[in-house]
Amino acid sequence: MALLALTAIILVTLDLQGSSATRSLRSTFGVIFRPIESVTRVVTRPATNAWFGITHYNDVTDENELLREKIAQQEGAAVAAAASVRLSQELLALNGLPTLAGINSVSAQVIGDSPSNFVQSVEIDQGSESGIKVGMPVLNAAGLVGKITQVFSNRAVVMLITDPQYALSVKIINTPKPTTTTLPIQDPATAVTVVSVPETIDPQVTVPSVPVTSNIAGFTPGSLVAPRTPIISSSLTIPPGSNVSVRETGVLEGRGAGRVPTVRFVDAAQRFGVVQAGSPIVTAGGSLSLAPPDIVVGTVSRVKERLGTAGPLLEIDIVADLSNLSFVRILLYQPITERTAP
Amino acid sequence: MSERILRFMASRWTRLVLVSLILLGLQTTLLNDMRPFAVMLPLMLLFAVAAGTLYGSEVGAISGLIIGVMYDCVLSTPLGLASLVFGATAFVGGMLPYLIREPTWWTRAITIGVVGALGELAFPIAQSMVGFSGQLQPHVIVVVGLVAVVGMFGAPLLLLVCRWTLKESLIG
Repeated sequence: MALLALTAIILVTLDLQGSSATRSLRSTFGVIFRPIESVTRVVTRPATNAWFGITHYNDVTDENELLREKIAQQEGAAVAAAASVRLSQELLALNGLPTLAGINSVSAQVIGDSPSNFVQSVEIDQGSESGIKVGMPVLNAAGLVGKITQVFSNRAVVMLITDPQYALSVKIINTPKPTTTTLPIQDPATAVTVVSVPETIDPQVTVPSVPVTSNIAGFTPGSLVAPRTPIISSSLTIPPGSNVSVRETGVLEGRGAGRVPTVRFVDAAQRFGVVQAGSPIVTAGGSLSLAPPDIVVGTVSRVKERLGTAGPLLEIDIVADLSNLSFVRILLYQPITERTAP
Repeated sequence: MSERILRFMASRWTRLVLVSLILLGLQTTLLNDMRPFAVMLPLMLLFAVAAGTLYGSEVGAISGLIIGVMYDCVLSTPLGLASLVFGATAFVGGMLPYLIREPTWWTRAITIGVVGALGELAFPIAQSMVGFSGQLQPHVIVVVGLVAVVGMFGAPLLLLVCRWTLKESLIG
């Protein structure tokens, strides 16, 4: 038993050191096992289909209805969005800034999930022969899916962004709510002056409906009511410093199966304001980042305030449906941090 | 030479590798898709434990190591981690005769369920020990519970397959 344990520990050590022996063992085993897996998949497909038919039928019909509605809603928006993206890319190209359009990519099909309860990864049918290398970002039509962690000749393993080992610098594009300031004005004459300011001032005359009472013995308030000066308040809308969305960076971290990723280290800067649920999250980019900038990751679903200088903790709704991946795109962009010495 | 090849082909370990390849195929396809309560049933682990309960700690540990290495090759965790966990779990499963003098099929079934569940729990712990932390979450309770139940109910079939796979043949 001790000998076997030692063998296993040596294997773990070798693999963690990036030994080529363990890599070639995996690769050779993949070559032998792949045909067996394909045959088993074909044989067990009826059973799998029956299982999905039993367990997911209602979900699929509901999802179909929802998707039809969404398609109808988005058909118009997609045209406008495509035009905006094109304009944005042209603008970035004019200014010599990097864009996603300038990065080559490889399409791949997902051929399997990780057969474990404790690993969040998928396998794709393209590998080093297609130019894929470790560290390259993987996306689908919706947004970021993960990164390449292992590459073989014609397959590769993608670590999903829900894996606890995954971390990525991201930008939160916050749109602060318009600030409303109420100015109490005592003199009605002044109120007229304020009203003259177009569009930004919305004067309202507020008469409090507090019941009038008296503490004077023998006096009943009724017909004689003390004159009250109406309180005039104006709602003054102050626009933010500029109309450009405010951005702040943080670090996105996966938290395992069934748990949404979080973003930490968000600086609670004054101009950035309070993070709103629904704010989009995109990759930050930069020389040390794992992905190029502006790949959509998700939206803020919940903001957890924390004490001190820790800043808020943001829970993220990922836009890519990681439970139902079929085709993905691998950007041929290898981060500096993942490059190995020649 | 031909006798040696025949001996090798008829060996229980050769049969174990071949049967494990088929089980691994089922693990990566059928059981990977069919996940009741979002839990993938660890057929390979339960098979290793079944080997331990039937043929004792030593055979169990060797079987666990072989099955584990094969399982490791399709996982993205470090190679050797599953083999370590499977070997240790099957070794523990093989200690049944020390506790029960004459194990019956149902004591073996209970052992497969309980030890299999412990092995499944040991996997994220082993992952944490080599730096792949974060997998030990509340969902593990569901995983362990379901593995225990399925292990117990699936044990008769596993024992049948395991008995055939690891039996000593006259040539081997």
